Amino acid sequence: MRTKMILLVEDNPDDEALTLRALKKNNILNEVVVARDGVEALDFLCGTGAHAGRDLARMPEVILLDINLPRINGLEVLEKIRANERTRLLPVVILTTSNEEQDKLKSYTLGANSFIRKPVDFQQFSEAIRHLGIYWLLLNQSPPVIRS
Amino acid sequence: MGAESRSSVSQPGRQYRKIAVVVLGVTFVVAAGLYHLARLYVLNEAERNIQAVLLTHKGLHRYIQEVMHPVFYSLRAEGMVSEKFYAPEIFSSTFIVRNQHKAYNEERTAAGLEEIYYKMAALNPRNPVNKADALEEKLIRRFNDNKEIKDYREVVRINGKDYLYVALPFLVNQERCMKCHGDREDAPLGLQALYPGLGGFGEKVGDIRAIESIRAPMEQQYYLLYIVFGSSFAGLLVLAGLLFFNARLREMVRTRTHELEQEVVERRRAEEEVRQVNEELENRVEERTAQIAAANKELDAFAYSVSHDLRAPLRGIDGFSLALLEDYGERFDEKAKDYLGRVRAGCLRMGELIDDMLQLSRLSRGEIHREEVDLSTMAGEIAEELRRGAPQRRVAFEITPGIRVLGDAILLRAVLDNLLGNAWKFTAKTEEARITFGRQEEGGKDLLFVRDNGAGFDMAYAGKLFGAFQRLHSLQEFAGTGIGLATVQRIIHRHGGTIRAEGEVGHGATFYFSV
Repeated sequence: MRTKMILLVEDNPDDEALTLRALKKNNILNEVVVARDGVEALDFLCGTGAHAGRDLARMPEVILLDINLPRINGLEVLEKIRANERTRLLPVVILTTSNEEQDKLKSYTLGANSFIRKPVDFQQFSEAIRHLGIYWLLLNQSPPVIRS
Repeated sequence: MGAESRSSVSQPGRQYRKIAVVVLGVTFVVAAGLYHLARLYVLNEAERNIQAVLLTHKGLHRYIQEVMHPVFYSLRAEGMVSEKFYAPEIFSSTFIVRNQHKAYNEERTAAGLEEIYYKMAALNPRNPVNKADALEEKLIRRFNDNKEIKDYREVVRINGKDYLYVALPFLVNQERCMKCHGDREDAPLGLQALYPGLGGFGEKVGDIRAIESIRAPMEQQYYLLYIVFGSSFAGLLVLAGLLFFNARLREMVRTRTHELEQEVVERRRAEEEVRQVNEELENRVEERTAQIAAANKELDAFAYSVSHDLRAPLRGIDGFSLALLEDYGERFDEKAKDYLGRVRAGCLRMGELIDDMLQLSRLSRGEIHREEVDLSTMAGEIAEELRRGAPQRRVAFEITPGIRVLGDAILLRAVLDNLLGNAWKFTAKTEEARITFGRQEEGGKDLLFVRDNGAGFDMAYAGKLFGAFQRLHSLQEFAGTGIGLATVQRIIHRHGGTIRAEGEVGHGATFYFSV
């Protein structure tokens, strides 16, 4: 059995490093694939572009998706994930700095499974990541993989 | 409306004066014509009257001469009447007619009519009553001088009354007349005996012996005509007057209508102007609204980016500071650790500031959804939450029940959150802390208030209380960003209300507000 994988979509290298650190701190040692913008994230999920030829049977257990992204923003990525037959069931957790009502409304409307605001306090952030890991990697039963 | 309309008013006025003059002229001419006609008519009437009298008299003359005389002569021939017998009463047609006319005039007078003067005037009459007067004498001579003249007519005025006077040659001496009117010696003896003197004798054949002189009154006819013509003419005058005034009224109506039309045009123009101004204003309002909407949108974008972009680096600073402490802590001395701690504290505080600022911005934007809000219940809930957050504290809440206002529930919740939260915060160091939410009347208006007996404040700084980031206490004393009251004030203002604070250092503060 292959290890469960996390897709982290994050353009801010600090946030990326901190997220990875928080995961490691909380002993979540699963593989983390990092996409630095929306296009890259979609490439990975669909096996296109830089990720052409990737084994599409392997899908992330959870996608941690930032909203503010270059090129294609998080909400558009979410929309495309939900529109794609292969990826539409994947759990998506919006992980953002934003606290805007509009973002929450749009995220849930587009089918986000969760909306988490990144706290400034790293300890709180780390705690949030720990909860995320436990919940999505251990407690949550992932949807069956859809083969095309 | 200036000179233009004034001239259009005076123009018809002049026209009417002209019309009036013309009407008067026509009236005068018609009146003159009518007078002339009336005179002709009256003259004609008088003429007819005279003719009737004359014909009657002629008839009587003829009857006497053609019927009575033969009877008389035959009676005399038969000896039934004496040769000497002569009585003008039954023989002389002149006598009989004269007296018959006298009787006729008496009858006229009795019938209320004026007499008709009638005389058979002669130059040399047998009976002095038939003697011609000066005019008649002159006429007889004129008729004799010129046999062509068959009549004479004249309107005479006697005692202010008009009469038609007519004279006609009456008797022309013929051969048979000479028996009685020729030489006196040739006349019958009886006649000679009856008329001494030369009256009625010495006539010559062919001469006009007498004229008929007759004078009929015209006045009576005039009255009638005056009435008929006068009333008809008065009627015409009234009609003309009515027509004139009708025309005048019409003109006035036309002028007034014209004025009104102009007024209507004027008013329409004014209305159009008002409409245009309105439209312009509406456009401007629309423009402004659009600008405001755009500004709001920009503000939204700004707030969004603040929320994102300012917070993200903070998290980095905090995160890596912590990473430093965690991973390399043993290499730092206490001072370095303290510094890093201060770096982290600064990050957290800035995070709070950003969050509060965002709340202030968010609450001041967006629409207000007015509904009835039970502030007392809301205050109770907030008190409960505060107690739960710090169960060790002993604070007495006094909340007047049943305070209901019209307002936005979410925004008013933020107001009470802040005010009660402040009261809670600033009574932290007060024994027997007491927080009151109530209502009181001031100047006929309902004022709500939140009162505490906490740290209070110096009234000298009351004006600064509601400014954003304004704080009257050090962070060491009381935490906070200084944005809460700014948010409260903005919400109250957006509800059209007012807010003010009263306080005294060490004796608590009261915030009065209306919604």
